[in-house]
Amino acid sequence: MSDLVNKVAEILNAPVDLVQRSAEARAAASGVSVDDVLNSWAGGESVAASAPKEEAPVQETVAEEVVEEVVEEVATEEVVEEVVEEVATEEVVEEVVEEVVEGKNESSFSFIAGVLFVGLFTFLFAFVIPKNQTTTVVSESLNNSVVVSGDVIQGAEIYSSLNCQSCHTQNVRTLIPDTQNGKVLKNKYANATLINNVGNIRLGPDLSTSATREPTNNSQWLERYLSDSTSVNRDIPHPDYDFLDEQDLEYLITYLLSLGEVNE
Amino acid sequence: MKIKLFPKNEQELSKLFVLIFPLTLLLSLTISFLKNAYFTFANLLPHNAIFNYGFLDRVDTQASLGLVFGAALCLSFSYLFSKSLGRATVLFPLVFLTLLGVVGTEFLDILVNFFSQNSAYDFGNSSLLILLKILVVFGLFGLSSLNLLAKKEPSIFASAQFIYGAVVFYLISLFIIRGELNVFSDIFLINSLYASTHIYVGVTFIYLAIIHFLMTRPLEAIMFNKTLSSIAFWGFLFLLPWTNFKYYYGSVLPNWIENISIYLSISLVVPLLAFLVNYTKTIQSKEAAENKSLGLMNFSVILFSITTIFHIVSSFENLLPILGITNFVNVIRFGYVGSLVMATISFSYYLIPKLFGREVAYSRLEDIVFNGFKISYLLVLINNTLIGVNSGYSWNAGANAGNPTIYGEGYEIVWNLISFNFSLNTFISLILLSSGFLYLISVLKAVSSGQITTVEEMVYTNE
Repeated sequence: MSDLVNKVAEILNAPVDLVQRSAEARAAASGVSVDDVLNSWAGGESVAASAPKEEAPVQETVAEEVVEEVVEEVATEEVVEEVVEEVATEEVVEEVVEEVVEGKNESSFSFIAGVLFVGLFTFLFAFVIPKNQTTTVVSESLNNSVVVSGDVIQGAEIYSSLNCQSCHTQNVRTLIPDTQNGKVLKNKYANATLINNVGNIRLGPDLSTSATREPTNNSQWLERYLSDSTSVNRDIPHPDYDFLDEQDLEYLITYLLSLGEVNE
Repeated sequence: MKIKLFPKNEQELSKLFVLIFPLTLLLSLTISFLKNAYFTFANLLPHNAIFNYGFLDRVDTQASLGLVFGAALCLSFSYLFSKSLGRATVLFPLVFLTLLGVVGTEFLDILVNFFSQNSAYDFGNSSLLILLKILVVFGLFGLSSLNLLAKKEPSIFASAQFIYGAVVFYLISLFIIRGELNVFSDIFLINSLYASTHIYVGVTFIYLAIIHFLMTRPLEAIMFNKTLSSIAFWGFLFLLPWTNFKYYYGSVLPNWIENISIYLSISLVVPLLAFLVNYTKTIQSKEAAENKSLGLMNFSVILFSITTIFHIVSSFENLLPILGITNFVNVIRFGYVGSLVMATISFSYYLIPKLFGREVAYSRLEDIVFNGFKISYLLVLINNTLIGVNSGYSWNAGANAGNPTIYGEGYEIVWNLISFNFSLNTFISLILLSSGFLYLISVLKAVSSGQITTVEEMVYTNE
């Protein structure tokens, strides 16, 4: 407790005993503990029920109560006067402390405006502008779109719904080590599903050139591997898609056999 | 234990979310365990359209980043937001409905995925529900702005600031995920910005809101310095949304945005230091004894710091080709989500006596829960870092040596390096699932048969 009072006194630049008495008066008026009041003055957790408009009448009540108690118990004018003086001092201290605290007032409007500004700034500069920039660059370049057959699109949609892109990427980056063995993904217009299938995180092998290499360029091998992967490779776990119907499996294989060409 | 269907005030609403949170966490951890099991033992387990890695991975993303995040947001909003502003919530019935809407739409998203797999985005959001989500979160944004404007305290306590920041960036992330895919770079742009606004800012800010409360009130400590808290708030708010682009370094994203991402990621050291100094100094001034659940809070700060340090260190240009696009990117997500989960668990244990009037007997059950979460999340971080570094390193080394490990034929070399870690991931997720189950038991036990204590009284006045 004493540390708390000292801390607040330091923050408010007021004597410790005055802060202590002010806090007690404020606590009695607000119906909360003295610690809560001191915490709120220290910039910590707020005190519930501390409406500014309630302060004046509450202070009066405190004064009255104290006076009445003293009059009943002692019934001497001198003591009553002393207590009234003390309460009057408390009121003055309370006012001083309130002024200091209210001097730190933070505007909600400024805060909301600040957060919204950062949000809009981020949305504009990290999303809208780079998105438009890349689209403009692509539209101005030659050979700027990927055209594939309907069957490939169907297969791409199955690939996407199976969430294959959660393990496999189709993106060899332009960094030197990555490019030594493969083709680099170029920015082009494409069907949204084809774009989505490029993937974000590479857990399994990259499929960007899958149709240009053995054995993944073989439709029979693919059919066998996708239906029962253990019959081809026991060591590396891969989901079996034997629950796909024949037509869907065919579309998926058509799509996989198109990889290596569309992304050139 | 009385839970009212239509709560009349913040305490009653918070009680509802104290019970909802463990349920959402258990659901998420169950799906996560199944996902990991189907990755490692894909060849052994029975499978169909639902029980396969691809589908479970998508549902896991929805559960952990959508549902658990939504429940933590609602719990912190219902209890902390009004408390931090010193008044009863303005338009409380609307706030109640909106918060239920947040959890409801996130849960609905998981259900819709079972019937409409084709309409789901990479990050799990279903296109059918995005508009509804935007409507609900926009409502929450409007209500939180209104409450901020009607505050009674002279200053805005840090918790309210962080919650408001999380709501704003949650809304922005929903607009981003609806962006059209026109050219190939769009997928990197949208996914990285969605991850950084929703996960990095959204999850982190709810976490920081809870921590700024837990480090003061329960410990009877005084916030060391409000300025440091403001530096942490504005620093993380401005920097975090830019920090994910770097993992696509060398891709078809514009070069300037990749470079900015690197520099701003390194700058994260400033708000991190501000937060850590403030936290350390604040808990030094504590007057109350620290219970075991607050020990979990301390550990969450360690986890949060390690994650942010990883995020900073990974910005070095020489490391990016190794770490980018690998499982290392997931480490940052796991770290932030894990910190939030641990802080929310600690928060819920603090709230049980205050709201339900029942003491939590910190018995062996709670010890197991706390240690389970601590060990698991630390192992998740270390293990997935190893997967990321090992796979990235072998891909690059293989490419330099002319061995195409990046493709199927050379993948066996990579798999030999990381297969143990993936098996370990499954084991860790089993520990997490067990801890989540015991946590639910512990909460139910405490609220139903804990020793009776005084319920916290919060007096609000609405003028």
